Amino acid sequence: MRKVRSICLAALGLLWTPVSLSQNVPYERILHSQNEPQSWLTYSGSYFSQQYSLLKQINRQNVASLKIAWMYQPSRPVANLESSPIVADGVMYITEPPSTVTALDAHSGLKIWSYTPALPEHVVSIGLYATSRGVAILDDMVYIGTADAHLIALDVKTGAVRWNVHVADNIMGYAMTGPPLALKDKIVVGIAGSEAAVRGFLDAYDPKTGRRLWRLWTTPRVGDPGAETWGNGAAQSAGATTWNNGSYDADLNLIYWGTGNPAPDFNDDDRPGDNLYTCSLLAVDADTGKLKWYFQFSPHEDHDWDSDEPPVLFNATIDGKSRRLVGFANRNGFYYVLDRATGKFVTGVPFVKETWAKGLDANGRPIPAPNQEPTLGAGTLVYPSITGGVDWTSPSYSPQTGLFYVSAHETGAYFIKGTGKIEPGPPKGIVGGGGIRALAGEQSYGAIRALEATTGKLKWQFKLLGPAWVPILSTAGGLVFSGSDEGNFFALDAETGKPLWDIQMGHAARSNPISYAVDGKQYIFVTAGNAYIAFTLP
Amino acid sequence: MRRSNRGVRVVSSKGRPCTRWVQILSLFLTLAGNSLPCFAGPPQDSKAVQLTPDQLQHGKQTFEANCSTCHGLDGAGAMGPNIQGIPFRLGVDRVANVIKNGMAGGMPAFSGQLGADEIQQVVGYLLTLSRKDEGQVTGDAAAGKLVYESSHCASCHTISGEGGDIGPELTTVGQSRGPNYLRNTILYPGTDLPQTRIFLETGGQLQFLFVRVLTKDGRTVEGTRVAEDSFHIVLEDAKGNFHSFRKDQVRELDKEPGKSTMPSMKGKLSDTQLNDLVAYLAGLKGTP
Repeated sequence: MRKVRSICLAALGLLWTPVSLSQNVPYERILHSQNEPQSWLTYSGSYFSQQYSLLKQINRQNVASLKIAWMYQPSRPVANLESSPIVADGVMYITEPPSTVTALDAHSGLKIWSYTPALPEHVVSIGLYATSRGVAILDDMVYIGTADAHLIALDVKTGAVRWNVHVADNIMGYAMTGPPLALKDKIVVGIAGSEAAVRGFLDAYDPKTGRRLWRLWTTPRVGDPGAETWGNGAAQSAGATTWNNGSYDADLNLIYWGTGNPAPDFNDDDRPGDNLYTCSLLAVDADTGKLKWYFQFSPHEDHDWDSDEPPVLFNATIDGKSRRLVGFANRNGFYYVLDRATGKFVTGVPFVKETWAKGLDANGRPIPAPNQEPTLGAGTLVYPSITGGVDWTSPSYSPQTGLFYVSAHETGAYFIKGTGKIEPGPPKGIVGGGGIRALAGEQSYGAIRALEATTGKLKWQFKLLGPAWVPILSTAGGLVFSGSDEGNFFALDAETGKPLWDIQMGHAARSNPISYAVDGKQYIFVTAGNAYIAFTLP
Repeated sequence: MRRSNRGVRVVSSKGRPCTRWVQILSLFLTLAGNSLPCFAGPPQDSKAVQLTPDQLQHGKQTFEANCSTCHGLDGAGAMGPNIQGIPFRLGVDRVANVIKNGMAGGMPAFSGQLGADEIQQVVGYLLTLSRKDEGQVTGDAAAGKLVYESSHCASCHTISGEGGDIGPELTTVGQSRGPNYLRNTILYPGTDLPQTRIFLETGGQLQFLFVRVLTKDGRTVEGTRVAEDSFHIVLEDAKGNFHSFRKDQVRELDKEPGKSTMPSMKGKLSDTQLNDLVAYLAGLKGTP
């Protein structure tokens, strides 16, 4: 009987392991997250960062009747809510800006525990919002990177602090906004602060003790490999921050993590050269923290086109060969496919209007178009805008459709060069070295675009009024969930882009939509404004 | 605007609106800056910031260093909303407070990075940002007030609490718009519609946009867009009625950028009348 029930539930995409009261999430559960689609154990649902749910109780046929199941709101209003939850064994772990962690009953939305770290009276947050995009879970602890750049481990059952380590100096502009990535025996974290001209890095910590295991600096210093790509010998190299989440391939034991812009953003006078490893995808050996390979999307970048979107790992057949790939819809307007074992360029095509490159060469390096640099005075009109083809908001890949879904921004901006020098000591403000003038509202729009994952070819698009900063979820129910910046949250047919359901939430979603199940019932979850909202079928 | 002081009326239009009536009543729709329906009235303190040229220059530098990445170097918006003219609408104290403490939706607090003096300098610089097209006042303001009245401008525009709410409020228009801009807008209303980006979370600012909807049952509804998302649009017709549509439930939806419901006054006013009207409007700098 039990077997029959399991088979039925498997057919619904709702098969789960027995509920564990111990709230223990060992590495093997995360590694094999496909075995428990009722859970959501990493920022993007799996180590492959596909933002894909195997659940299919909610599907094309019934999504039109989706209703709000519960809402949670913090006890005080929050700003910049970009928190994507972890769900394990019926408990949801969310963050509340800036750095509070709260555990909710995923069935009712009721609060179980909450922890708020003691932040300094003034938290330095230059060029970023003091917020948290979520926690990581491993064994019996949850982990958060705080606005003042601490990494804190909490007891999964009570929220009690197990350890708290100082990752970097907030007074220098370092902050943590991205979720940690929990591996077998490491907690990997990135850092933010490029606009404060900090030097980026990627760190790994012992999950049990908080001891730092390795640090990979993402810009060189004098004498390091890559120093020659900074005009001054990299004495002052700054930027390449790692402020979002990464992905992991256990077979290759490689971590994939994107890096941000060089500093100053728009004034490149003091940094001739490619400026490694800014605006790049890094493949890092998980054991040693050594760089295995890198791919720089935008060499010598000066439009603030960070590359901090979570890289999407997928396997596909190209020319009859099974390939291990990574897909990346970059802020610079190109969609890239790379071989994730070698970093070798497979293909790259624009997914929005872009004017800064004439194309990509055989190695994927952009062929610069003339006169697209920021200039003094009125500036230079460049597509895409500073917000890029897409910024940090997660795309989604559906193994069911083979499509890569991205929330595309169709807009340009005048890029203006100003003065900008990196000064020693704590930053006094944004080290931007210029700025932009955006095109007016009606000249911009957004779209959910479905690209053939292996080629970048456009399969369909669903137009939005304005460019949207809303991540995407796709599901085995044949659905794509995302939102507009005007506050719509909606479901599209994953094959055709046809809208099937929508709701006006009063504020744009800024967190990853995710899906989970409790007691055999599938939920779609997202945030908007001050609200954390779970939807389900009646 | 006084829209916040009355209930929202969503009505279904019966028959075509009278185009001529639309034109007469829609005078000067585009004359001023943004219309922000949620603010009850003009600030009383927008002239309170007095800065030396050096302080203003420092305010400019502080703005460019700290604000321009999100709001654009001209304040017209980028990742953050358009803030041109914001001190005129909110008042300098409230703007200073927002800079100091931040606000929900994305504006960070700058209290730790900027001192009170620096914030005042930024506000002072913001006051200069939205000033458009200076030029010379040559007419007579008192005579211009009569032109304003005889041309029925008040049917659509409010000054110091008096008038209609189809077009933007003009109580402080002289602070943010110079004579050349005012003259050009009176003659060519559609050429410089207030350009704002869409940021629902920061107040739902949208461009002034003329929209025509053809419903599935054959009705045509024309008006100015007052709200829009990816699935819906709300228009305000010339009578001040709101019409709400789901976009997938209409037959046609035509947006006409560059068109205004305000008719051009070209050929309708003499040069003297035009100069007088410009002088009157350029002198509107807040409630005495």
